[in-house]
Amino acid sequence: MIIEENTIKVGVFKGRKVVGGKARGEALVSKEPICFLGGIDVKTGRVTEVGHPLEGKNIAGKVLVFPTGKGSTGGSYLIFESVENGVGPCAMVNRAVEQVTAIGCIIAEIPMMDRVEPDPIELIKDGDLLEVDADAGTITIVKK
Amino acid sequence: MILTEQEQRMLDGKEGYPVQKAMQILVQLGEIYDAKRMIPVSKVHMPGSSVVVAGEAGTKLVEKMVTNGGYFKVPTTLNTGAVDLGQWKELGYPEETYKQQLRLTTAYEKLGGIACHTCTPYFIGEVPRLGEHIAWGESSAIAFVNSVLGARTNREGGPSALAAALTGVVPEYGYHLQENRYGQIHVKVEVPLKEAVDYGSLGYWVGKKAGSKVPVFTGIASNVTMDQLKMLSAALASSGSVALYHVVGVTPEAATLETAFGGREPGEVLTFDKSALAESEASLNKHQGQKVSIVVIGCPHASIEEIGVIAKELDGKHVAAGVELWVTAAQPVKAYAQRCGFEQTIVKAGGKIVIDTCPILSPMAYVASKKGMQALVTNSAKLAHYAPGQWAMPTYYGSLQRCLKAAVEGVF
Repeated sequence: MIIEENTIKVGVFKGRKVVGGKARGEALVSKEPICFLGGIDVKTGRVTEVGHPLEGKNIAGKVLVFPTGKGSTGGSYLIFESVENGVGPCAMVNRAVEQVTAIGCIIAEIPMMDRVEPDPIELIKDGDLLEVDADAGTITIVKK
Repeated sequence: MILTEQEQRMLDGKEGYPVQKAMQILVQLGEIYDAKRMIPVSKVHMPGSSVVVAGEAGTKLVEKMVTNGGYFKVPTTLNTGAVDLGQWKELGYPEETYKQQLRLTTAYEKLGGIACHTCTPYFIGEVPRLGEHIAWGESSAIAFVNSVLGARTNREGGPSALAAALTGVVPEYGYHLQENRYGQIHVKVEVPLKEAVDYGSLGYWVGKKAGSKVPVFTGIASNVTMDQLKMLSAALASSGSVALYHVVGVTPEAATLETAFGGREPGEVLTFDKSALAESEASLNKHQGQKVSIVVIGCPHASIEEIGVIAKELDGKHVAAGVELWVTAAQPVKAYAQRCGFEQTIVKAGGKIVIDTCPILSPMAYVASKKGMQALVTNSAKLAHYAPGQWAMPTYYGSLQRCLKAAVEGVF
């Protein structure tokens, strides 16, 4: 549901908790799936996959919004490593979570949600400030 | 989830910290995917066996399991590592990575891990049978074992495979259940696939479109080889997250098109023709140029047959000055190649058989910069996909013959 409030667009999305917890951060949105192996430099947080829509952007501290994971099963530990290195996302949002990403979020202990309505990939823009409350099953755009 | 008394004991910590932590991970995972119960697995193949993947965080987690008395309940093989543990120095790997890898490998061994360090365990005797429940990591091996052998695994990441090894169980969901093993997309192959590289191009093209769905192929000849299916598996799991596919008349769950789809209609029909093959090849040759620094064959790790072909092609020839040729394989396959005389021929031609590792899971950016490497050549769609993002290396992609020709001539 998107509502207009004092000329600032504020949205509340509802979805399913995959990994519990709360986080607040700017959104980084990809329309394409993400693989952490070869796709993201876990020492800096920079997206390195050639031709990826997020190539050159940085995931550090962001709420990473993307359809699902892909590729290497090494992704789980690399998500963990990026968070341990302080350059990981603060939360993740998927359309449908894939196992490698889910396990990465479990072990890294970052909030993760999927099956979110309305479609966050269409409606959330890069830079929107989000509050993710996976336990309550809500994502709120607090500032566009 | 409903747990057995024994599983509940594990979750309650009665079998110690490693088993409890493992069971917590598995229960959490089971809840995400609405699993009703745990099921036993007979084997685990461990992703996150390379320090490039496990990192310091993953290594510490594995070591914590060791210091708390953990031990694997089922046979557990280790995936590809970050260096060739024997010839790391001459290949140009940093000593630091060698030491970190030794630390991780040793920790897994203390838990009972089998340090084969290969992504093709099915080439060294790890051949689970039709319907066998296993917990495998390594995206290419998962697609191969589910599809070609008909064993049943989900896409296990490092921590979940570790948890499966420590408990001997996984939550029952996904590809363990028959209902999720039927085809979803019909792919009509309408171009003759001649070589392994063509199967990589096919997989790369389909993986992008299939995502995590189950493709069913028709139009693939019944004499398709294990090496060709290996390339198909690896590519499907690189551009997408395909964990299972069927080839009608070839793979065990696809005697007919109807069986493969479980009597249902395909959700989508794709046609892979001559122009799709050309489009896929072009998308993997992302860079323009001629000069070659390193040629890599064996992604995923080479079979003895593939090494035999390489030896035959290279017999009496020599790799160009300034070019390295790596054939990556499992250690037992290298020993086999030596017995057959293939390794001697490859070495005489200026190439090397590299074991335990591969350019994707090793610190190749370091090696490339140290040796001033400028471009990579490979017949693997998987490697051609990962190399540019992993170590910013211009990559050329072509058939085995074309790659070996490039090694000998020094240009692609």
